[in-house]
Amino acid sequence: MSGELYWGLPVIGYLFLAGVGAGAVTVSSYVLLRGGGGRFAGAHFSLARYGALLGPFPVMLGTGMIIFELGRWDRALNLFKLINLSPMSIGSWLLLLFMTITVLYGATFLPPGAHRGDRLEGARRGLAWVCMPLGIGVAVYTGVMLGAMPSRPFWNSPILALLFLVSSLSTGIATIILGRALVHRKGADRAAEKQFHESGYLLTVSDVMLIGLELMVIFLFLMFAHLTVGGVKEAVSIILPGGRMAAMFWIWVVLVGLLLPALLEMVYVVPPLFYHRSFAAPRSVEVVVPVSVLIGGFMLRYVVVVAGQITGPVGI
Amino acid sequence: MADEREIGGRESEEVCPAPGRREAIQALAGGLAATVAVAAATALSAPPTEPAPRNGRGIQYGMVIDVRRCIGCHACTVACKSEFDVPVGENRSWVEYVEKGEYPYVGRSFLPRLCNHCSIPPCVYVCPTNATYKRPQDGAVVVDVGLCIGCKYCIQACPYEARFLNPITGAADKCDFCLHRVSKGVAPACVSTCVGGARIFGDVSDPESEISKLIASERVTVLRGEMGTLPNVYYIAADHTDSIDARRPEVRQVEVDNHRRRKHWR
Repeated sequence: MSGELYWGLPVIGYLFLAGVGAGAVTVSSYVLLRGGGGRFAGAHFSLARYGALLGPFPVMLGTGMIIFELGRWDRALNLFKLINLSPMSIGSWLLLLFMTITVLYGATFLPPGAHRGDRLEGARRGLAWVCMPLGIGVAVYTGVMLGAMPSRPFWNSPILALLFLVSSLSTGIATIILGRALVHRKGADRAAEKQFHESGYLLTVSDVMLIGLELMVIFLFLMFAHLTVGGVKEAVSIILPGGRMAAMFWIWVVLVGLLLPALLEMVYVVPPLFYHRSFAAPRSVEVVVPVSVLIGGFMLRYVVVVAGQITGPVGI
Repeated sequence: MADEREIGGRESEEVCPAPGRREAIQALAGGLAATVAVAAATALSAPPTEPAPRNGRGIQYGMVIDVRRCIGCHACTVACKSEFDVPVGENRSWVEYVEKGEYPYVGRSFLPRLCNHCSIPPCVYVCPTNATYKRPQDGAVVVDVGLCIGCKYCIQACPYEARFLNPITGAADKCDFCLHRVSKGVAPACVSTCVGGARIFGDVSDPESEISKLIASERVTVLRGEMGTLPNVYYIAADHTDSIDARRPEVRQVEVDNHRRRKHWR
């Protein structure tokens, strides 16, 4: 087994932060475009605003980290002299476009009194139509990048990109929930308070579904790797019971990052879903849930990036 | 052997664009322009008497390593390090030791290693800046230090661990078949220095070359053929016992020391 970590914390941090930002912007533009009007119109606009304003920052921070990791920042410009079929090349261009467009998209929410149907609405919706595919692209390419190498059996799985996409959307929603919970002040206006909780319900239900999907994807990832023979089976055994990274994976990614937030969310989601109660999660829950989802998202990147390298090329 | 080196040398010298020019072309118009320029250079500089590429193929440099002749002396490792001033702790070429068995039934074999200059090089496919590329004129896989951004993607993608990040240049580094020597008609440093004559360098696509005759007449293997990379470094009598075997409970006492980075398996 080779043990050299060529990609360390800056890359892991980038994969996590780019996923968070891309997920938040994707969710924001989806809610803006498909949230509909009616009594939810204001609440959906507010959700989209959180995603649009929070999303670009983690992506920029993460990008800064990997450019710094290169040793000489100016060399990163070589990426933009051409485009080829390398996932990293396509990803760099996607990232450049994403950062440009999301800054513009976020700016349309900035004017004081911005609301649905104001004079920037056309530009906002047009940019949202571009942001959504770009966000999905940025979230997916990181998984494609790792998966593109037959020399790294742990990464060489077509479902890794889907895992990263689902995790990105989930951590993106978590960022919006966290931002709302930290910024929101309880008002005297009962209607506004009800609307706040109703849009919180939308976010929480979506997050529960994404976490369920993520557990399914992880199950398929592990199962298909375990059921094969050779390098892939041996590589995945590192996170299966008895493996060197098993405790880290099962405790931090699955337990803290997926099961704990999913169960907490279910406590508040099930009553409105089955018994027509109104949804109202306390602020403490709306902080704990997204923080554990974000921890899980980071640890997922950590385990995948490290495991892929220490189980690296084997055989001769 | 001298003949095919000279043939290869002439071609390399004439067709290879200088690094600076290549970089400038890339900067201006990207890969397409470079392809056109290389094609044009080939057409312009090829002497009219030069025969058409054999079998419709161009030159593909390769190496045969006859492990029966290797004594594990590391002369190739040292020659390579001094030839390129490779930083301490890294090697472009190295010799792995495999020891196995229990006394009195023991064996030790050597496995000289270098870049395989694959015909399907995974490192080239993942490079985001085309800094690493397979030279169309001789099939060597090389790194353009001016374009390399040091992202280490190629290091991850190589199934042979043939690449490393040069701590001085900050760019990916690897064996380049000593093109600066080959272009002058001199054999690569590791080949010249090998005391047992275990390394044979030449054009594997020329059926008349010594290396092609060896590949045709000897039982050769390549490393990790299952990867589908089509390596151009062939081995005669290589022991493919590796770290996977070292972990097998039914095979006792296998130790692999790759002399690359300090790693042991037992």
